[in-house]
Amino acid sequence: MSKLLEMQGICKSFYGVEVLHAVDFSLEKGEIRALCGENGAGKSTLMKVLSGIYEQNDGEVHFKNVHIKRTAEPLEVQAYGISMIHQELNLFDDLTVAQNIYLCREPKGKNGLIDFSEMNMEASRLLKRLGESIDPKTPVRELKIAQKQMVEIAKAISFNVELLIMDEPTAVLTGKETEIMFNLMRSLSEDGISIIYISHRLKEITEVCHSVTVLRDGSYIDTKKVADVTEKDIATLMVGREVQHSSIGDFSGDEDDVILEVLGVTDNMLDDVSFSVRRGEIVCFSGLVGAGRTELMEVIFGIRRPESGQVLIDGKPVTVKSAIDAIKIDIGLVTEDRKDTGLVLCRDITENSNYVFWRKNKGIFKGVKKTRSNTGGMIERLNIKCAGSDQDVANLSGGNQQKVALAKWLLSDAKVLILDEPTRGVDVGARQEIYQIIRELAESGIGIVIVSSDMQEVMSVSQRVVVMHEGRKTGELKCSEMEEEKIMYMATNV
Amino acid sequence: MENIKQKNSFLQLVSRVWKNYSIVVVFFVILIICGIAAPRFLRPNNLLNILRNTSIVGIIGLGMTFVIIAGGIDLSSGPVLATSGAALIALQKMVTESGDPAMPLIVPILVCLAISTGIGFANGIIITKAKLPPFIVTLAVGIIARSVVMYFCRGATIMGNKIPEFTNIGNGSIFRIPIPFIMAIVLALILHVTLTRSKFGTYVFAVGGNEKAAKYSGIKVDRIKIATYMIVGFCTGLAAVIEMSRMAAVAATSSGMQYEFEAITAVIIGGTSLNGGKGRLIGTIVGFIILGIVKNMMIMLNISPYLAGAVKGAVILFAVLIQRREK
Repeated sequence: MSKLLEMQGICKSFYGVEVLHAVDFSLEKGEIRALCGENGAGKSTLMKVLSGIYEQNDGEVHFKNVHIKRTAEPLEVQAYGISMIHQELNLFDDLTVAQNIYLCREPKGKNGLIDFSEMNMEASRLLKRLGESIDPKTPVRELKIAQKQMVEIAKAISFNVELLIMDEPTAVLTGKETEIMFNLMRSLSEDGISIIYISHRLKEITEVCHSVTVLRDGSYIDTKKVADVTEKDIATLMVGREVQHSSIGDFSGDEDDVILEVLGVTDNMLDDVSFSVRRGEIVCFSGLVGAGRTELMEVIFGIRRPESGQVLIDGKPVTVKSAIDAIKIDIGLVTEDRKDTGLVLCRDITENSNYVFWRKNKGIFKGVKKTRSNTGGMIERLNIKCAGSDQDVANLSGGNQQKVALAKWLLSDAKVLILDEPTRGVDVGARQEIYQIIRELAESGIGIVIVSSDMQEVMSVSQRVVVMHEGRKTGELKCSEMEEEKIMYMATNV
Repeated sequence: MENIKQKNSFLQLVSRVWKNYSIVVVFFVILIICGIAAPRFLRPNNLLNILRNTSIVGIIGLGMTFVIIAGGIDLSSGPVLATSGAALIALQKMVTESGDPAMPLIVPILVCLAISTGIGFANGIIITKAKLPPFIVTLAVGIIARSVVMYFCRGATIMGNKIPEFTNIGNGSIFRIPIPFIMAIVLALILHVTLTRSKFGTYVFAVGGNEKAAKYSGIKVDRIKIATYMIVGFCTGLAAVIEMSRMAAVAATSSGMQYEFEAITAVIIGGTSLNGGKGRLIGTIVGFIILGIVKNMMIMLNISPYLAGAVKGAVILFAVLIQRREK
């Protein structure tokens, strides 16, 4: 046991579902290790176990040959010399740089109050080591995003860190800022600090990392020296599972019967995206986190205003400035986060499934009879399991909540239905039911767009897949041409 | 076996009634306790008097229920009552002194309602278009409205004309039932139907429950919010008509004083959630009657008026406590 870090047989379950299956992971002193895998492969979960945020169900962690207790809190783990920089910055905008770095550990003077000059001096020394010249007295709010990232790193290093975990630190950085970050990582490594680097950008991994570990579906797959592999090899390792073939087949309807066409949509997250959907076709959007798929759907639904580009329905250009406009021209959106934007949790099934129906139909009153038959029909058709139509949506399971979110749009007679991650947090049984409903909807002539990060979902429900990478469309495949590797190459843009 | 089942379903029924109507049960308990503590309390005249006195705040509370369900709050109601009331008194005096009695009384009343509804509209516009917190906007508007009334009345009291056509609105009865209470109940019925049967009512709940989801469902969130402030504005105007008619006078400093808080108290006692998305008008009705009873009992039992706040505060805490939903 001469390694710096040794994780053995780590298992982790959420609500009885195992998401990490006996993962082993070890690291040398001064090594920069990339951690790769698809969305949901277990990278973040593994790192959260390591940093003490989650408690593993089984398995042991040794750091510098010292056993770290399963119940160790993040602060205890930090005391061992392990720090994690999360994807979202954890800084307080209104505190100064120095205050952020030494939060809860402020140096105290003789009188028991905070010794600010001491704190600022320490912070400034720390920042200098990182080659950064920010004044430690600056409020964090005034910093650029790359500088904030530096403050996070400074904070992590201030714990006398020996292992630094970075979760997609470059997602928000520009090319030049990324370069500075890489130089910093290299110099930290030379000082003997090990780094675990989580990223979707394979090019960066081959550029800055020494070695790469791939996880897939919660299992350890392989660890390779970067010198020995190509980006393509990594992508293949990431997918690698046996392909389950239950695909739906190519689109067989009228090729020219286009219902939705999007031309050259561009804004700060999207770069000249065009695609079209035919009546009765199911098109999936695949890509990694941050590919801009949700943003594209928001443009179509009028929530987001693009800088340029056009949306056409039935060949006619339309202006969609709000959800109200989108509903008028029969576009529906089942949102990604049903609790945030899809459902009014404290109201019942009847109300939640009829909102759009009521908006679309004239009249002051809800119409008790029609409303009741609408809701009853939906509960039956979608097999929504509930105590009754007056049950609050908050008390339904994830799958049944999603069905209610879907019911809202089925009752609206949408011509184009966009489903953003339609099976996120939905159990396996309900998932199959939702797929079946989607197929039926397509057969009835609705154009369907699905955004999905679940590769198996993409493979099994779509007739065509559009792949995006960092705001650009990087490829398009028919069902018969679909292979997980191909999609992954496009999604990682190798 | 059969017996156990029946027993269970009976218990379930009891628990459901308690969950939904706990405040009504508490209301009857309060009635009984008050009756025992002060037998005079249960005399019909006293009870009718309570209803008359409490209906003014109650009517504001009905409108306030809409605002709170939609996730907002209106702190301007008291001053708005004074402002629209001052206009009503000034106009009433002018109209009645110019001869032709009673008939044109409708004009001052309409102006009063228009002013209060207009201020509600202004509240709503500022809150939705400038995206400011309702608490701050209505607080500021309330301060402005109070100041305008003080200026208008030179800080004193303006007297109207005490003609019976006018004073009967607040002091009269039909079949012994006080007219203000009849107005409150008729208004409550109309608003109840609006809240539970109309699309608008459902959207009010949706906006208060999850504004984003409402927006994504194509609901015109801003319009719904503005409408709720106009409703409470209209209710405040109606309350002003009753309040002004009882004395045929408006007092710059004390008319409508703290009414907004009493109205909000009635809504909270009635079980409407300050988080928005949940609430019932029946609760508010029970709420303002309980408030009236508490005030009445303070007098009956010779409790110092300085302790009124302490008792009211305790009632709020108690009401919220028994209606607390387990998470």
